[in-house]
Amino acid sequence: MPPALILDAFAAVMLAVAAVSAARLAAARPWRRGETVADIDIAHLLMAIAMNGMLTGSLRTIPVVAWESALSVLLAWLVFRAARDVRASGLRTLPAVHLVHGAAMLYMFLAAAQPSRYPALAYAFALILAGYAVWDLDRLSAGRPSAVTAGCRTAMGVTMAFMLIVMA
Amino acid sequence: MSEIAVVAGGRAAWRDAPDTRRVLQLALAGLWLLDALLQYQPMMFSRAFGQSLAATADGNPGFIARPITWDATLIQQHAVALNVVFATIQLLLGLGIAFRPTVRLALAASVAWAVGVWWFGEGLGGVLTGTASPVTGAPGAAILYALLAVLLWPARAVDTRAARSLWLVLWLGLAWLALQPANRAPWALHDTLAGMENGGPGRMAALERDAATLIGGHGLAVSIVLAAAFTLVAVGVYLPRPAAVTTLVLAIAIAGVIWAVGEKFGMILAGGATDPNSGPLLALLALAYWPARTAPGEAGRP
Repeated sequence: MPPALILDAFAAVMLAVAAVSAARLAAARPWRRGETVADIDIAHLLMAIAMNGMLTGSLRTIPVVAWESALSVLLAWLVFRAARDVRASGLRTLPAVHLVHGAAMLYMFLAAAQPSRYPALAYAFALILAGYAVWDLDRLSAGRPSAVTAGCRTAMGVTMAFMLIVMA
Repeated sequence: MSEIAVVAGGRAAWRDAPDTRRVLQLALAGLWLLDALLQYQPMMFSRAFGQSLAATADGNPGFIARPITWDATLIQQHAVALNVVFATIQLLLGLGIAFRPTVRLALAASVAWAVGVWWFGEGLGGVLTGTASPVTGAPGAAILYALLAVLLWPARAVDTRAARSLWLVLWLGLAWLALQPANRAPWALHDTLAGMENGGPGRMAALERDAATLIGGHGLAVSIVLAAAFTLVAVGVYLPRPAAVTTLVLAIAIAGVIWAVGEKFGMILAGGATDPNSGPLLALLALAYWPARTAPGEAGRP
């Protein structure tokens, strides 16, 4: 594995993403009637916490099996959401990227249990995530999407790509 | 002769993107980001990385080789600290090019970094050793990063004439390398490809084996065909638009074949690669030289 310094640096970035996502969820005040919660913030929060545990052992929260189950449910929701978006407004990039994030997360947990399974898939995920992170950063600096969400997505994409390549 | 889209600031015909140059800049940013992630691989933090750099000094003139040896020794002694710096610099280059406010700074820094890597990390791509082959990555990926950064500079760092000259020098250089004695020997290319069978998935090894068998002892003929194709590509940018497009498509096809067969997809799947090698960069360069779309009413003008 790379030195602890690098793993800790990426873990710190993921902690920041988790904190931002949690703050956004709290600001959405889901306990009040009629308020809506951004499911992507929940996804970012879950994935950031999960990655923290993978990057730094001291930040592990729940058992791996529990994470695999939670990420499977998350992936199923993202598939449903992407399918709903496709039906509503045709094929778009963003739901597909969330789907890749969810699938890559689940892959990482499964591959950690059984190393050297389909390494080419890890590189494929890493390429897509790194490519979209670059695209997102460009759009973010052009002032197009929500800067906070796009920033979280970029940070998660780069960190996930890093983990996939290191694990492959 | 047609105008080059990214140099002229126009739109390339291959895509209706609002800004062709920006799209190519993002592709370059993606490659730097990929390089950074590959540089973070566990093997790069070991002495083996420094040893692989030291090997690039072999065959180079003394004034080129001595700094490489010094640099490689230093990296072996401080493998972790220096590799953290190297990988992080590349990460910042990728993110810097993607982030609009820092694109100029990142492109300028990438030229300096790429030239440094070309010398200290790739031994000038082996072009002075007499054994470098365009099929396996000469003139080195790093110098192509620098060339791309110059071509994709936001405010026309080079004019069309200079850009065409750079393309001509690059591809004529590849033709010259293909005809060097070490590359045109009857079994040279066969042996090179056969030697690459190890590492990576089985299907890739089979591709190398099949290509080596196909070439067999016809190394001279293959070298002549390659040199002719490289020369055609080199002069292609001086031809009228349809012919220029054809030669650029040929350049992309050659880059694809080189990447798949000669470079084994940058050996990324075999582990230990620090970049995807020259294939994707040659293809990206070809896209950067795509002729500008002729505006209505401009056809037939002198």
